[in-house]
Amino acid sequence: MTRRRWGLAIVAAIALLAAACGGGSGGGDDADGEVLRSVLDRGELRCGVKGSHPGFSFANPDGSFSGFDVEFCRAIAAAVLGNDGEDVAFVQVPSATRFELLNTRQIDVLIRTTTVTAERDASLGLEFGPITFYTGQSFAVRADSGIRSTADMDGITICVQSATTTEQNLSDHFNELGYDYTPLGGEDQENQDAFATGRCDAWTGDQSNLISRISQLPNADEFRVVDQLISKEPLAPFVIDGDRQWKDVVSWVVYGLINAEELGVTRENAAALAADPPNAAVARLLGAPFKGGEVADHGFAVDPQFLRRALLATGNYGEIYERTVARVGVPREGTLNALVRDGGVLYAPPYR
Amino acid sequence: MTEPVAGARKVVLPPHRVRAQRPLGTRAREWTRENLFPSPAQAVVTLLALAFATAIVALAVYLVLAAEWRVITVNRWLLFAGGFPQDQEWRLWVSVALVFPLIGAAFGLWASLGRRDLLFMALAAGFLFFLARHGDAGWASTVWVAGSLALFFAGYLVCRLVPREPGRARSIATWTAGGALALALPAVLAVLMAAGGARTNEFSGFMMNLILAPVGIAGGLLLAIPLAVGRASSLRAVSWTCTAYIELIRGAPLIGWLFVALFILEDVIAGDLIVRTMVVLAVFTSAYIAEYIRGGLQALPHGQTEAAQAVGLGRTRTLQLVVLPQALRISIPPIVGQAISLWKDTALISAILPLRELVGNSKAAIAQPEFIENRIEVYVFAAVLFWIVAFVMSRVSQRMERSLGIGER
Repeated sequence: MTRRRWGLAIVAAIALLAAACGGGSGGGDDADGEVLRSVLDRGELRCGVKGSHPGFSFANPDGSFSGFDVEFCRAIAAAVLGNDGEDVAFVQVPSATRFELLNTRQIDVLIRTTTVTAERDASLGLEFGPITFYTGQSFAVRADSGIRSTADMDGITICVQSATTTEQNLSDHFNELGYDYTPLGGEDQENQDAFATGRCDAWTGDQSNLISRISQLPNADEFRVVDQLISKEPLAPFVIDGDRQWKDVVSWVVYGLINAEELGVTRENAAALAADPPNAAVARLLGAPFKGGEVADHGFAVDPQFLRRALLATGNYGEIYERTVARVGVPREGTLNALVRDGGVLYAPPYR
Repeated sequence: MTEPVAGARKVVLPPHRVRAQRPLGTRAREWTRENLFPSPAQAVVTLLALAFATAIVALAVYLVLAAEWRVITVNRWLLFAGGFPQDQEWRLWVSVALVFPLIGAAFGLWASLGRRDLLFMALAAGFLFFLARHGDAGWASTVWVAGSLALFFAGYLVCRLVPREPGRARSIATWTAGGALALALPAVLAVLMAAGGARTNEFSGFMMNLILAPVGIAGGLLLAIPLAVGRASSLRAVSWTCTAYIELIRGAPLIGWLFVALFILEDVIAGDLIVRTMVVLAVFTSAYIAEYIRGGLQALPHGQTEAAQAVGLGRTRTLQLVVLPQALRISIPPIVGQAISLWKDTALISAILPLRELVGNSKAAIAQPEFIENRIEVYVFAAVLFWIVAFVMSRVSQRMERSLGIGER
């Protein structure tokens, strides 16, 4: 708590200093197109990721990056710069400074398992793109405990990361139920240890994180994650406010990858489909002419083939999911992240 | 208690022999009571020490028997160099081979290697060889490690030949070594970056800590000397300015200055983040070191200055030849303390700045799907790396203190 107050005091002091110097470098409304221009000039996309989140972003032994968030960075880079999405500088962004780094344009886009909230949208000078991953706060329990939902949790001990929205959600939810519980606070990994060694009866956090961490435990089958979600945590890429051109490009790369899955366009078949598109929708998505017609140009600040380049680099949404979060045990089927036609909520406006 | 009786021919045993004749159990109990539990307070201390020792043994047993060190050997590159371009690895080794003989030379000139240092170095060398050889690495890194160690000893032995007494040979050697040390950092950066090398945003892992800390310490020391002299100045404007600088910088925590590097210096220094961070670390360190040097200045008897003036030395010469050498010598222990402190503070950097130092890359390693369970191994390894460097600094400081005769006056 004291550390947090210190942090706030420092940030406040710095904000004052910055204001006094007149050096506010936030986004203005006349900045339209600036981010894209600087990405093109630099020849490199600066993508802010966490870099230490199983399944979402982590560094490989050779120093390169992998993960769900990382793939979206590559897709955007491929769409804008080509070169198969290789021209990305991954910036490992600490949680404490992620929004300021975006605001001061030290990164071009933030894809760091960041939850979309009203406050972040309205008062931080940021815009968010389409939601790439839906999760929510849930609970891990012992498989033999008989606990099915929070209705069975009166009086138990719960491991929760202190000073987070997770902790706040937990207390709100239990107040509403009128239940007692004993919170046991710690960092993510301490909580995992405390839970695995039985010091707490339940462990709460983002459902996808709980599932992936538990699936890596040697005795994973002794635990289970309940189906109930007590909060909404939709994760999306964030960009700076006021650069609509850039926001459009980022948004439509994500929408394009979802549309591609709906249309059955993959990394494998994208080139063949572009040469001989089966229908108008696929032709538009890949920026190819259909039946001797014109190539559809919707007026993005990049050329009409940008989605084809993204798809050739990373494949569609489903392929990205399979390669990354599915590998750490987070299923897709039956979750919100399935396509609408498969019972999820993942849905993209048509690319036309 | 066994006074010899006059006239008796009986052999009188000394007290410890008398005790030694009693049964072993009694003796053990007595020894335990006398040495471990002589009073309630000391009994508590004994029990605490016992608990501590048990914990250490348990950790050691875990590390030897249960820990899986594959996470380290697989991630060796990530932890040491991370995003550094892999085809430029030779640049890292050339830097090491450049720095090692200089450290050896410094040891040879201003200190000497004792038996304990050699033992420690043998252990460290074994550790390095193990790391270089283990896993799928080729012989190249082993050859580089061996070569660097050989250069260290070459530097040391050559400098041991320089006479200890002040004289022409020694002053030439001192100036050469000092100059080479001062140029070492720019040289290393040039080796890493020049002619198609890495860009600064590709610096990553332990090499990041190894670059940031020395820049902070060296830069801090250079800034600190004028600050300390300035604060002691009789010119009000100078002394007030220096005091204000020192108090402002010392008054805020390092984390605050890192925020400054991130968000404010951006408009002032048109460099990238690493350069801004280096500036902030040097400025931060300088305020502390300036105060230690001021302590050294104030510890000098007034007679020193007066004597220097009496033999006709001017202000500058007095400072340069009489005051500073003595003041700096006195300040070495706290300055090394500050250096060690800054060294460990570099572990804070990836919590605030988007820079990838060892701790940040450790977190990245344990996010890899196959190593999620190996975080203790990774953090212990990082801690050992930090400890080795801190311990070397501490030993160098002790050796320098001894050879300069600090605390013996």
